[in-house]
Amino acid sequence: MIPTIGHAAVLVGLGLTAYAIVAFVLAARGRDPRLAGSARRAVIGSFVAALIGCVAMVISLLGHDFSVLYVAENNATTTPPFISAISLWAALEGSILFWTLLATGWAALVLVRHRGKHRLLMPWVGATLACVNLFFFAVMTWPGNPFALTAPVAGEGLGPNALLQNHPFMALHPPLLYLGYTGLAVPFAFGVAALITRRLDEEWLRIVRRWTLVPWIFLTLGITAGAWWSYEVLGWGGYWAWDPVENAALLPWLTATAFLHSAMVAERRGGLRIWASALVIATFILTLVGTFLTRSGVVASVHSFTQSAIGPWFLAGIVVALAGSLTLLVWRLPELVGGGRPSGFLSRESAFLLNNVLFLGLTFAVLFGTLLPLLVAGTSGETISVGAPWFNAVNAPIFVALLFLMGVGPALPWGQASWATLRERFAVPSILAVVVVAAGLALGLRNLAALVTLGLAVMVAAIMLDEVIRGARARARGRGENPVAAAWRLTTRNRRRYGGYAVHVGILVMAVAVAISSGLATDVTVTIAPGETARIGAYEIRHDRLVVEPLADDARVIETRAELTYDGPQSGSLRTALRDYPNSQAAIATPAVRTSLGEDLYVTLLASDPGTQAVTLHLFVNPLVVWIWIGGLIVGIGSAFAIWPEARRSAVPAVESRRAPSVSPVEGA
Amino acid sequence: MTVAAPTEPMLPPRRRPWGIVILVVVVLAVIAYLAFSSIGTALVYYLTPSELAARGDAAVGNTVRLGGQVATGSVSGPATDLRFVLTDGETDIPVHSTVAPTRSFREGSGAVVEGALGPDGVFEATQVIVKHDENYEAPAPGTLPSDRAFEPGEEP
Repeated sequence: MIPTIGHAAVLVGLGLTAYAIVAFVLAARGRDPRLAGSARRAVIGSFVAALIGCVAMVISLLGHDFSVLYVAENNATTTPPFISAISLWAALEGSILFWTLLATGWAALVLVRHRGKHRLLMPWVGATLACVNLFFFAVMTWPGNPFALTAPVAGEGLGPNALLQNHPFMALHPPLLYLGYTGLAVPFAFGVAALITRRLDEEWLRIVRRWTLVPWIFLTLGITAGAWWSYEVLGWGGYWAWDPVENAALLPWLTATAFLHSAMVAERRGGLRIWASALVIATFILTLVGTFLTRSGVVASVHSFTQSAIGPWFLAGIVVALAGSLTLLVWRLPELVGGGRPSGFLSRESAFLLNNVLFLGLTFAVLFGTLLPLLVAGTSGETISVGAPWFNAVNAPIFVALLFLMGVGPALPWGQASWATLRERFAVPSILAVVVVAAGLALGLRNLAALVTLGLAVMVAAIMLDEVIRGARARARGRGENPVAAAWRLTTRNRRRYGGYAVHVGILVMAVAVAISSGLATDVTVTIAPGETARIGAYEIRHDRLVVEPLADDARVIETRAELTYDGPQSGSLRTALRDYPNSQAAIATPAVRTSLGEDLYVTLLASDPGTQAVTLHLFVNPLVVWIWIGGLIVGIGSAFAIWPEARRSAVPAVESRRAPSVSPVEGA
Repeated sequence: MTVAAPTEPMLPPRRRPWGIVILVVVVLAVIAYLAFSSIGTALVYYLTPSELAARGDAAVGNTVRLGGQVATGSVSGPATDLRFVLTDGETDIPVHSTVAPTRSFREGSGAVVEGALGPDGVFEATQVIVKHDENYEAPAPGTLPSDRAFEPGEEP
């Protein structure tokens, strides 16, 4: 009964979405304006349908209804309720159902928020979003039906993916990433709509910037949480492997970030709008490419895949989206190119332009490295892989250049800078950077990447701090406020600029943490018998005993556990285990991570000898890793800070032309 | 993927900022150089024992991934000084590894080793990956193991 309701909901969603497309297009062509309202309600209806579908699936999972193939393959009677519920996104069909819920949710949110406004633009926005949603409903109707039944009904299912069961973090990063991915369809829809209606104006930029920033926040947090998951769960001691799945999330992030920067120039100085619309379109297409890569089984990855019939569908979707939007762009290019006030070589515009070139350079490099194995396999039939060293060699210099620009860009004035300004703003920060690098060298730091990153981070931070102090001082003098209050008012009244600075601070923290942790991590593999000790860095690890027993809450899972004590900067006891799940041939590692602000002690069990009770352990000391997660959080908070008041302001039903372009010298970085 | 040239919309109608154009071209050239100069060494070919043997002496010293079955009765030594033979049924390649494999490593299981063939004909592995499905890593969310231990409906 429940699965039937779920399946019916998917079909209803498909119908409503198809209707919404037709009605939106008719409304856009100037037919009955009431059609737009009816289409909007159809989109809201499709969201409700997807919600019913998801609820039906979660009920089936919680009730262990093995008549549903998806449940039989991803659930067992012993699965705890929490794991059952999050199994909604544990495998292909369920994740597409969840995906559709979020995609229809974004569409409904956009249409409701902009109800009655932008009468020319919105029908095309709605039609584009409905086309995207139609694709997902169609996938669920034909190749990837989440409610496909199986007979005869089994008494026991396969159980969820072993990695999913092994750590609650699985609840965290997929929803964040999916929210980011699906939300990036919104700026794409605005891009398409603006190209069709020739309305790439300032209002358009403002709306699209906001609708890009919100999914961008989710994508940023999702990528960070995914890295955290990889670190805490997979047991290889690292957090980023340039795995295709990681790259798939990074690619749209790069182009979306490039867009967020180019939008500022476009807003401020005119011009660049066709470029900005190309970026939002590219971002959306990259989300499709990423989904295709991760869900079709074409590339080998940490996230292993089923070979599925969904691949060709996604390929077709990518081709349609790419061909359609390229045609549209080329069609409109002659009418839309141009504008923009002239600017000099030394100007903020140049910095932003270079920023976009670098972000696109990164995008192409990552895309190239990710797709090369596919291309080689397709042309010569040989199987190759592109390793992390290549990605690091190509991307690290670009990241360093971006870091440099991060400090230079905001400190350069719009239009044309003079050498005097440069000296005034860069002299002290540059000296500070040199001092820090010298101090690092004196302390014995010999890693080039770490030194360069540290120096640049100090320089960028000093430039930003100087900016804030300068602004606060001017405000304190001008209005007679005390300096602290002045600084607070300055930042809260220019949330966009200073929120952006906070984001940059978060990125700086992450950059330093990544450079130091990847450059200065140490690891060693040891085999020790009970009572023996091993050393890594300042730590001493002692093997107390080896235990093999079934897990207390699921007796089907056999745990081989090393119980250890460690002594050093931190001390205590820890347990690291290998778990054998009935549905996984490989044992699942359960690394033990002891985190401190300075460094992590990371221990993972590789093997054990039942005869001698000896264990083979992989020990790591990873410096500063926790700051990567903290930096990600700062980025999230900073961008939320930047967007907050605007979101509140626009909640007030307002007239379209309420906003005069702001020209005060400190606003709108 | 994107059509508009990055420099195009920035150009003011009258004065072309050649400095910026040159800078952009230089940056793109550097990125292209970085990408292509190191691609040769970054590509790791995935070979079977027969394919590796067919390369003869040319294979010595080049980093590759070698995939095959761990020959029964060939494993000896402790986890951090391991010797075994990888086979595809036709060709046997002796492997030496100082890095411990995960515990799923056992005789008869599939394994992928990364490393290079030494002049003595022994493959020196820098990484041992147990191959438990089509890919060579732990299966993760959003996925199903492709060769499963049992099918739905069976009692495990």
